[in-house]
Amino acid sequence: MKPALLRRPRRRQVLPGFGLTMGYTVLWLSLIVIIPLSAAFLSAAHLPLSRWLQILMTPRVLASFRLSLSASLIAAGINAVFGLLIAWVLTRYEFPGRKLLDALVDLPFALPTAVAGIALATLYAPGGWLGRLLAPLGVQVAFTPLGITAALAFVGLPFVVRTLQPVLGDLDRDLERAAETLGARPSVVFRRVILPALLPALITGCALAFSRALGEYGSVIFIAGNIPLVSEIVPLVIMTKLEQFQYAEATVVAVAMLLLSFAMMFAVNGAQLALQRRYQSRR
Amino acid sequence: MSIRIEQVSKLYQGVPVVNDVTIEIQTGEFFVLLGPSGSGKSTLLRSLAGLTNIDHGRISLHGRDVTELPARRRGVGMVFQHYALFRHMTVAQNIEFALRIRRVGAAQRRRRRVELLQLVALEGYDERYPSQLSGGQQQRVAVARALAHEPAVLLLDEPFGALDAKIRVELRETVRAVQRRIGMTTILVTHDQEEAFALADRLGVMQMGRLLETGTPEQLYRYPATRFVARFLGAANLFLGEVSRQGLHLGAATLAPERAAGVTPAGSEAVLVVRPEDIEVAADATELGAHNFASGTVEALTFAGHQQHVSVRLDELSRIEPATANAASAQRVTVDALRSAAEQMAVPLQPGARVTLGVRRVHALPTPISSFNLMTCSDNEAAQLERSPLLAQLVSSMQARVIRRGEQLEAGICVLPLDELAPTAIAAAVEHGARRVLCIPAGAGVPQRMLVHAGEAVRRADLLALVSSVMRHLPIEATAVTLQHPQASRSEVVETQRTLLDTRAELRGSHGLDLRSDRFLGDLPAWLGSVVAQPETALLVLGMNPTRDLAARLNSEMPMLFRSGGHVDLLLAFGRAA
Repeated sequence: MKPALLRRPRRRQVLPGFGLTMGYTVLWLSLIVIIPLSAAFLSAAHLPLSRWLQILMTPRVLASFRLSLSASLIAAGINAVFGLLIAWVLTRYEFPGRKLLDALVDLPFALPTAVAGIALATLYAPGGWLGRLLAPLGVQVAFTPLGITAALAFVGLPFVVRTLQPVLGDLDRDLERAAETLGARPSVVFRRVILPALLPALITGCALAFSRALGEYGSVIFIAGNIPLVSEIVPLVIMTKLEQFQYAEATVVAVAMLLLSFAMMFAVNGAQLALQRRYQSRR
Repeated sequence: MSIRIEQVSKLYQGVPVVNDVTIEIQTGEFFVLLGPSGSGKSTLLRSLAGLTNIDHGRISLHGRDVTELPARRRGVGMVFQHYALFRHMTVAQNIEFALRIRRVGAAQRRRRRVELLQLVALEGYDERYPSQLSGGQQQRVAVARALAHEPAVLLLDEPFGALDAKIRVELRETVRAVQRRIGMTTILVTHDQEEAFALADRLGVMQMGRLLETGTPEQLYRYPATRFVARFLGAANLFLGEVSRQGLHLGAATLAPERAAGVTPAGSEAVLVVRPEDIEVAADATELGAHNFASGTVEALTFAGHQQHVSVRLDELSRIEPATANAASAQRVTVDALRSAAEQMAVPLQPGARVTLGVRRVHALPTPISSFNLMTCSDNEAAQLERSPLLAQLVSSMQARVIRRGEQLEAGICVLPLDELAPTAIAAAVEHGARRVLCIPAGAGVPQRMLVHAGEAVRRADLLALVSSVMRHLPIEATAVTLQHPQASRSEVVETQRTLLDTRAELRGSHGLDLRSDRFLGDLPAWLGSVVAQPETALLVLGMNPTRDLAARLNSEMPMLFRSGGHVDLLLAFGRAA
């Protein structure tokens, strides 16, 4: 196929010409995304590299990065499994209350994060409904990395479900039928046929859930307990430093976080592209 | 016997989408299931593959009963309309999928793959991804993949439906060649008549879940049994004609039937099929080589490459009546003819030209239902009958004509309202020669089941001809019921059982249809009572003797049927008067 961009559109478009729309796009992106981000860079740029390292290498900051990354990663992993399951149930089965369940998936999106945080904290607190049951087993959720992971899994769920749903809906059922007639057991059909077809969407969904988890603040602070070196996430470190008027340090941590996010995004998009190159848009 | 499908039914929300289908397919045969969309052909194919479970019946492949087996253990290869290739796998991986699952060694897999790619003429495409192939190539890969595990049968579900015309023909030839070469028993589902003719050793036409007819393409084209098949397989002119000892009468022409008309006895009305290519057009009767049957005016000429369609409006004097419902206006009967290039040269035509028509060949449908003959006192009553769900359904699916004419009761099937006066009306109709009477109560819904009771000494062949005609056109389950005395002796029980089996065998043998069988303990009134007591509407088919005291007998033996508010449709078949 010839690239569509090279061809001049014959039909009049709904929006006026390419120049104008592109102009607005760039302007808007600059105002909303690029300028604030570069401001962060610039305000941290005057610090020498040694100072940067000094700030980032403090045990507290390092621990927070370790925690943020691992908790987000684990949460994204949990969401990958359960998000897939939920998306599967919602697209493949017709049952009473399906619409309601479908709407419930959006709740972590729609809820103010603070509300979610308070709800989770009361639930998992040592005296809370679930905390009380878990405490005798020696499991403490609130004020531990476990609680943070739970909160992050909560906010990330809709991303995975919503990216998988349309792809699952469009998945040709004949693929499964074909695999079945070829002799595949249901588990093989899932592993060899369905999962590979869903993989690009699953990766996207997980990446979205992961980035959201990395930056999540509201729902985590209540349940985290914010114990330095134990349950303090990066956004909280930034917040604390700001409150203590250590603007430069806060910015350095923020920029580091930003770079990390960029790196993640590039990695995911790269993987995505590689997958697509392999079997989708190459014609 | 490679594939044996026995009385397979599949219900969807209580309605059979596959209705008691029985087929036997020989090893190495290419069988095509042909039918319009929604006829149940794809569902039948899927149930063969084990992708849909069935509600009734048995399926066996190569003598192995697979009814309960999941698809993966049936050993079938299936090809889908939209290829269903695994897009994340290369051509090689797709083809080797079935072998990899079976843990076949790499060298052996490679050998088989090379062999299969050669078979479908795609050598060297091993490392491509499906998205890099054209539709036709993808479908070739799908065929190769379906054959990889050496299945017992190959099932193709509208495999050429998504391809454009030229590639379709090309791929069709490939599939045919591959099938011949490896001698694979194959079933293909399609709605394309041309495709069916090109591929099939034998084909079965499905409509409304029923397998209407099976046979070689030529058999079905030349000797269809139903109006539907006559028109679905190529074009056909359908006329009402007459059968006599001399032959088949169509207008002024009398032709010897190629096949014994069978169930249509001499002196009765029949549905005649005339293929457009069997009609000769000439300016003058003396120039005709074929039997002259009518004259008319050329209405339209259509160019169709090497052939020419001619549409001729018949003169009223020709007295030709159409046999189909859509051509209801008897005043304007048109005949379609198809002329070869040579014929066009010999007799050039212009629209508006006066022509004489000859007919070379005529086929009489073996259905006793040539038309529906309404027997009512008023037009109002007739209109009500015509609106009844049962008659409406029969007329639309049979494409048969409804006639209000009163005389000539032997023709077709008499229809009258079922009420307290019905016994007298039935007796009167039978006295005037009616052989088949359909009684429909006011306000009855669409029947949900059909019950057949041979009853008295009606010729079984006659009864089955009637039953099969109705069965083919109603999407409901049909059951043959025999009555058995509660204290019947052992030999009587055996006898009853044998009669049922014989009936089924005969229906299958001469009409290719199958029905359920059931035994009722008790006599006729008790059985009719139990049928009437059921809440669902039933169509009751009974055989009876046309005795003198018919009205009295109807009133005394089956009074429950004639009470008002009934919901049982009654179809009576009468034997020959003594």
